[in-house]
Amino acid sequence: MEQIVPKQTKVKRFLVRKRDTLTAIVILGPMIFWWLVVSGFPTLFGFGLGFLDWVGIQAHPKFIWFDNFIRFFHDPMYYDALWRSVWMGALVAVTTLLAGFGAALLMNLPLFGKGVYRSIWYIPAVTSTVATTQIFNFFLDPTNGVINNFLKSLNMEPILWQFSIGWSVFWIVIYSIWKGVGGAALIWLAGLQSIDVTLYEAAEIDGAGRWGKLKYVTIPGLKPIATYIVITSLIAAIQIYEQVMFITGGGPYGKTEVLVYRIYKDAFWDFNLGMAGASSLIMAVIVFAATTLFYRRSIQDDRRTTIPIKSKKVGNET
Amino acid sequence: MTSVSASAKRPRKRNANHLLAHLVLAGFGFLLLYPLVFMVMSGFFTRDEFSSRIIGFFPIPEEATLNNYKMLLFGSADSSIQMYFRNSVIRTIFSTFFAILTSFLGGYAFARLRFKGRDVLFLALLATQMIPGTIALIPTYLQLARWPFAGGNHIFTGGSGLLDTWWVYFLGGPAINIMGTFLVKQSIEKVPIELDEAAKVDGAGTLRIIFGILFPLQLPIMAYIGITTALGTWNDFATPFFYTNSDHLQTLPSAIARLSSAATGATGTPNYPLIITLGLGTTIPALLIFFFLQKYIVQGLANTGIKG
Repeated sequence: MEQIVPKQTKVKRFLVRKRDTLTAIVILGPMIFWWLVVSGFPTLFGFGLGFLDWVGIQAHPKFIWFDNFIRFFHDPMYYDALWRSVWMGALVAVTTLLAGFGAALLMNLPLFGKGVYRSIWYIPAVTSTVATTQIFNFFLDPTNGVINNFLKSLNMEPILWQFSIGWSVFWIVIYSIWKGVGGAALIWLAGLQSIDVTLYEAAEIDGAGRWGKLKYVTIPGLKPIATYIVITSLIAAIQIYEQVMFITGGGPYGKTEVLVYRIYKDAFWDFNLGMAGASSLIMAVIVFAATTLFYRRSIQDDRRTTIPIKSKKVGNET
Repeated sequence: MTSVSASAKRPRKRNANHLLAHLVLAGFGFLLLYPLVFMVMSGFFTRDEFSSRIIGFFPIPEEATLNNYKMLLFGSADSSIQMYFRNSVIRTIFSTFFAILTSFLGGYAFARLRFKGRDVLFLALLATQMIPGTIALIPTYLQLARWPFAGGNHIFTGGSGLLDTWWVYFLGGPAINIMGTFLVKQSIEKVPIELDEAAKVDGAGTLRIIFGILFPLQLPIMAYIGITTALGTWNDFATPFFYTNSDHLQTLPSAIARLSSAATGATGTPNYPLIITLGLGTTIPALLIFFFLQKYIVQGLANTGIKG
């Protein structure tokens, strides 16, 4: 801006610079206030909560250093919940990403009516978890559920889904895949469409077949978007809790409890705020570490790649 | 010889492949859509028929009733569905509007203005995006409960603070969109600064530059941010569920959550047709938002750099 108006006095220049700051305060003010209220301050507060012995809202908190964290790793309830979050999250994320990738490859073909498929696949993603888990609950209802009716009509024993650990986990995973696969497909598709078509032609001239093209053009070309989608899917999957809350309620005997659901129960049922804070902090550290590790590795991989990629912008998304 | 056979072979092979692709996409697409189809059909059942009859994979009622849908649309004497619906709408409109405004202005400020601490502030904003939201769950509760001079509080303690008031809806939940701010910043940085300067020479003020020149260029991204925020707020059950208690503050998702958790607590079968119809009532507006605006999702994604 200084270049336009020639010969400014020092005072004027100072005012101009000051005006930027003033504008920024006016513009960013409401946003920063909201951010402090809904995430900045609560996050810092949450970090501190883990070091307190604080049971019950009205009780007086006491500073106890790392006792909550020590309990976390000694009490199987927490340890198991964490482990369950990790493997269930990984299972959901990997299945969703692979299935979404397959669907995106198909949707990328010059098919008739592919827009319709794209919409249909994406629809589960826009539905509300609370609403759609009710349908799953009805399917699994032990006495009158659709699936058990079907089993009965085949003269098979009805299954008490919600009382079996394996089946409970199975349905939570199925629900999560149902909800997530369309979104993954859509993002993969956006990535596929950004790959330069001439690269395929070049590969064809070099004698690459279907698999060769997939291996040497498609997969390297998807690398930037893969970083984005893998990180976001993993973060989302490790934080699954609404479906656990509404399909199994953590049952049977707390064997499907995941860490975030445990945090919710600690906070709003047992009012054990210190333990909830400690669990949140451990969760945050794991997610943060996983994200950073994966992100750094993918950047290193990017540097080593020699195949020309049309865009490399995506890497700094998350 | 090879060229002839190849050209004769290829279309047929491609057709067969395409047929296979159609079959896979349509088959799995049907599976994905099936729960929603089931929802629509079960809305036509009466409660008695739904609990007494053996329901198969395609429930067709013997005596179709429109009562559930009527109740959803017009409410009944003992239900507050209209109120939940109204609350959901108010909250969604507020959050969407606020998120669009703040992420646009924020993106502008971070892209164009020079001020002290800009990069640190921006990093702090992004860092809280990476930290799981659950960590803020309890602190937010405590913070709302101890908001100074609200709900009978003195300075920090005493009453219920802002819990169970409308403030929860406006302060909590996805009313700001940090990711959106990031996307707008990226996109404004691609707009040459000479455009701003030219407008300035022509006598346009800052507001004119922001809303007359830069905003129209960002419309696809703003649409994308608006859609994702609207869907997120509309489906957000957690904020009302955790931070409010009274019936007149519930939204559709939190009302369903309450109904169903009350049902699982009690013995006997829950009133599935009502819960399912309520669920459908929650889903349909989201679907409408999606159907009418879905082209902007792709367009927005394409412009924001996720696509590249």
